[in-house]
Amino acid sequence: MEEIVFQDVSQSFQGRTIFAHRSDVVKGGCITAVCGANGSGKSTFLRLCAHLLLPTEGSVSVSLGGEELSREILLRRLSLVTPELRLYPRLTARENLDFFLGLRGITLREADYEALLARVGLRPEALRDTWAASFSTGMCQRLKLACLLASEADFWLLDEPGANLDAEGAAMVLREARQAANAGRLVLLATNDPREEAAADEVISIP
Amino acid sequence: MKSSLFHDIRLVFRKEMKSALRFRAAWAAMLMFALTTLACVSLAVQGGGLSPRLLAALYWTVLFFAFMAGIDRVFEAEDSAGTLLALRVYAPADAVLFGKLLYTWLLLLVLAVPLTLAFLLLMDVTVVTPLVLFLLVLLGCWGMAAAGTLVAALGLGASVRGSLAPILLMPLMLPVFLPAIFVTSGAFGAEAASLSFLFGMGLYDAVLTVGASVLFPHLWYAD
Repeated sequence: MEEIVFQDVSQSFQGRTIFAHRSDVVKGGCITAVCGANGSGKSTFLRLCAHLLLPTEGSVSVSLGGEELSREILLRRLSLVTPELRLYPRLTARENLDFFLGLRGITLREADYEALLARVGLRPEALRDTWAASFSTGMCQRLKLACLLASEADFWLLDEPGANLDAEGAAMVLREARQAANAGRLVLLATNDPREEAAADEVISIP
Repeated sequence: MKSSLFHDIRLVFRKEMKSALRFRAAWAAMLMFALTTLACVSLAVQGGGLSPRLLAALYWTVLFFAFMAGIDRVFEAEDSAGTLLALRVYAPADAVLFGKLLYTWLLLLVLAVPLTLAFLLLMDVTVVTPLVLFLLVLLGCWGMAAAGTLVAALGLGASVRGSLAPILLMPLMLPVFLPAIFVTSGAFGAEAASLSFLFGMGLYDAVLTVGASVLFPHLWYAD
């Protein structure tokens, strides 16, 4: 079982305290939403979970099957979808996926690739030989979600995953998140969207 | 779903090559800078015979400044495209370091070929020991690539990145340049310098590479 434990965590940047003395537990097998106003530290919370940021005070531990994971192992087991995470603009959709998934030791056959794109609502023929630079923000978001789905990650960290998606895309995100949680994965959403918050099993509120 | 370090390095290297071939600004800027410098120097010293030592110093200076014109792009291109976070999440630090280092080395070698030919032609230099010069270019470019990649990584997140590179690079590069200039002057016809300088350069390159691989993960994950 995946688990992320915050113990008395405080985080500040250049003297500005984002949040202080938080102790939270996020567990696998359910969807957890991190909610709060803009600037409350939802994205920071996710980065701390991914060990991409060290807390100013306290500790964040991530474990799988009772064994604490080092940052190197954790990063190979998590997938992150955030507005700040960008695709390579001068690579095609296929090249971007081959690169990121290749780093996880995953090779996509053509049939898998086409099925994956269909799963996130993208048409392969529309993306063929087209650099990611010319994709719309919604298409980029769907491609990032495709990368997440194919990565077989145990930890899903999603920062406003429905942003820039149409109603069908936003529904697809929640459907995939539910399937992942049912499969025992840890799904953590940072969101301001009431539908995403309502879809969560647990809610962590950051004032 | 496990991949080897070699496999990951190859992926990063191929990604760098593809991106660079589709956006040739960095290559072109380095080449044009070097050719302009070379043309200025050759016009300025026209007719005046320069000593092999001075020619060797000029040769490495031109290579170094051409390199400086493009080295900050190693990570800056990722930063401006916003792809650093994705790379941090998906790629192990060692794969990023060595993939980018190999790409930078290749870039420098590709630049060094036309530059060396133009230098020999314009400055009317005869190479008495081409093999030594070849080895020097290989080792010198590796040293520049290793130091440059590390310094470019140090500049990640620094607001004064542009001015940071030359300040940090110079002391790191001196142990490469000084023996390179001594041995190159020998290759250009001066009294042959001891080849132990070559060995020393190789050793320094190895130390620089190991040092970079130890330091880089801390810079990469912003500890």
